[in-house]
Amino acid sequence: MAVAGITESEGRLIVALEGEIDLEQAGAVRRALLDALKKGRNVLVDLSQVTYIDSSGIASLVEGLQVAKKQKSDLALVAVSQRVRRVLELARLDKVFQIHTDLAAATAGTIPGGAGTSGN
Amino acid sequence: MLQNTPGETSTEADELRFAAELSRSFASSDNVEATVRLALGNAMQALKVEAGSLFLVDEAAGDLVCRASLGPNSIEGLRVPAGHGIVGRSVSEDRVEAVEDVSRDAGFFASADAASGFVTRSILCAPMKVGGKKPIGAVEVLNKKNGLPFDLRDRDILQVMGNAAALAIMNARLADQLVEQERIKRELELASEIQRSLLPPADPDLPIQGINRPIREVSGDFYDYFALPDGVIAFCLGDVSGKGMNAALLMAKTAALFRCLGKTIRAPARLLSILNREICETTSRGMFVTMLAGLYDPASGLLRFANAGHLPPIVRKPHGGFRSFEASAPPLGILRDVAFPEEEMRLENEMFLVFSDGVTEYRYGDREELGPEGIDMLLGLSEGKPLHDRLEGILTELNSGGWRAKDDITLLAIDDSLAGQIWRRVPSIASAESRSDFMFGLTIPAEADRLKLMRPVLAAAGKAAGFSDDEVADLELAASEAAENIILHAYGEGQRGDITLAVHRLEDGLMLRIRDFAPKVDQAKIKPRPLDDVRPGGLGTHFIRAVMDDANFIPLPDGEGNLLELVKRRKKD
Repeated sequence: MAVAGITESEGRLIVALEGEIDLEQAGAVRRALLDALKKGRNVLVDLSQVTYIDSSGIASLVEGLQVAKKQKSDLALVAVSQRVRRVLELARLDKVFQIHTDLAAATAGTIPGGAGTSGN
Repeated sequence: MLQNTPGETSTEADELRFAAELSRSFASSDNVEATVRLALGNAMQALKVEAGSLFLVDEAAGDLVCRASLGPNSIEGLRVPAGHGIVGRSVSEDRVEAVEDVSRDAGFFASADAASGFVTRSILCAPMKVGGKKPIGAVEVLNKKNGLPFDLRDRDILQVMGNAAALAIMNARLADQLVEQERIKRELELASEIQRSLLPPADPDLPIQGINRPIREVSGDFYDYFALPDGVIAFCLGDVSGKGMNAALLMAKTAALFRCLGKTIRAPARLLSILNREICETTSRGMFVTMLAGLYDPASGLLRFANAGHLPPIVRKPHGGFRSFEASAPPLGILRDVAFPEEEMRLENEMFLVFSDGVTEYRYGDREELGPEGIDMLLGLSEGKPLHDRLEGILTELNSGGWRAKDDITLLAIDDSLAGQIWRRVPSIASAESRSDFMFGLTIPAEADRLKLMRPVLAAAGKAAGFSDDEVADLELAASEAAENIILHAYGEGQRGDITLAVHRLEDGLMLRIRDFAPKVDQAKIKPRPLDDVRPGGLGTHFIRAVMDDANFIPLPDGEGNLLELVKRRKKD
């Protein structure tokens, strides 16, 4: 399954995704993100084990971000591979999402998107 | 006309003239109605009587019917039971009857007088017959005008006349029958023509062909096939019990129902159930239809069929040898609530054959029936020829000496090896590139969970074509996005179908052709999203355009689906 697990760390929910996120898996990813956000927490999406993503998967991430913003919580991406980054760039979303290099960096900063933020 | 010659008495001359007149007029009369009137008129004139009538035996009812009546009061249409009355006695005993005073003859059928108001005094009645056969009726004359009784000469004249009239009536009946036969023949020819028009027109581009040779003008066999909008071919072959017109009419009805239902019901078993119930409800007892109906997808080779009591079809290997199936369900029109099991298989360049028992029951002299083995053997004689020619070849072979047909002959064949050729025909619409550029092609059902199966093969092709890892990722992304668009937008909710991917190697890259078999998509509606809009719609199309060098829809004829051609070139160093 695309959703490998959901863990809690320092007040944030970490949704770990894995494998190929295409039309088949996008629905499960969307539900996992929205469930996590329903708990009102800030959500980190761990993409380190994601080998493929396309517009369907990106759409789920975008929907999660929109919900997060609406409820004044946060949704950030962690450990984005070169391949996933390329797709985010194609969608011009690489500047829209907060992207952390790894979980340590994401949890280290008190202000999400602060020092640990990796952007272009 | 004969002239009176000196030496002859006037009565002899009259008789000769009468005989000549009689034969001349009978010869020119060609229907029964006119002939009986003529015969009766002639007799009354010759015998100088007040009235007369002519009766014919009604074979069906067994009585005598007055078919002509001349005189003051007509009794035309009067029926006299066999053996009754003087006329009945004359016919049943096959002899001339002369009654001088009917009031003294117990057999006199007085109800005739009662019906007409005519008063019969004397009767002369002669049977009408040809050769040694039973009389076909009798002619009777009533009351000589001069009041005298009928004499021997009168008897002879009426007897000769009766036999002449019988011959003329028999001839007229034959003529009537010929006219009727001619009419039936014309109607049969017309019916045969209409029946042929119910068969699908031969299309050399389709990988399915059929032939039908009725043993009579009309056939109880039929077959049909037509392509559905996504390219899947619906087909059937049926055989109505019996031959002749009633079988032909039930055939026409079943064929029409199939053509109508087959366009919406994409499950052969369910279609047969509906047909079965319809035929059970409305068809005369004792008639039934054996029928096989199926769906074949030329793009994938997938074939599904259900069989209602028909001979098992065979799947023939490309160079001979075959496998068969069990017949499992009863024919249509016998039991109202029957389930028809479905078979599903994927043809691998094989031939699927359905046929009527007229083919397999062919015999050569006293030898064994042809059987499916014979069909396999005969097809072996025509490897490599066009499919329709191969079916014709079977007929030609069967017709050449010794083979005897007992029944209508109908064959339907799907040649999967031709479907491959037709699929390869489609890319040629787009470009004239030679087949040697073709790397591989694959078909996946338009389902989200099949996309991941496509990507590794495409990645391997990208690597083989010398693309970098990033470029290979772009190829995978573009193809997936195109397939997702097809699943979400071309087929849409609830529609099933296939996606085919064909990969061609170019000098400096790869060309991907991605095709669906869904209704035509309005290309004007497919636009990449504006990038300042974060909503997901249109993102896939944007990705395709961003990562590929060319992305164009190739126009296909209506009903052929949609074809997207993508080209990616290697970056120049």
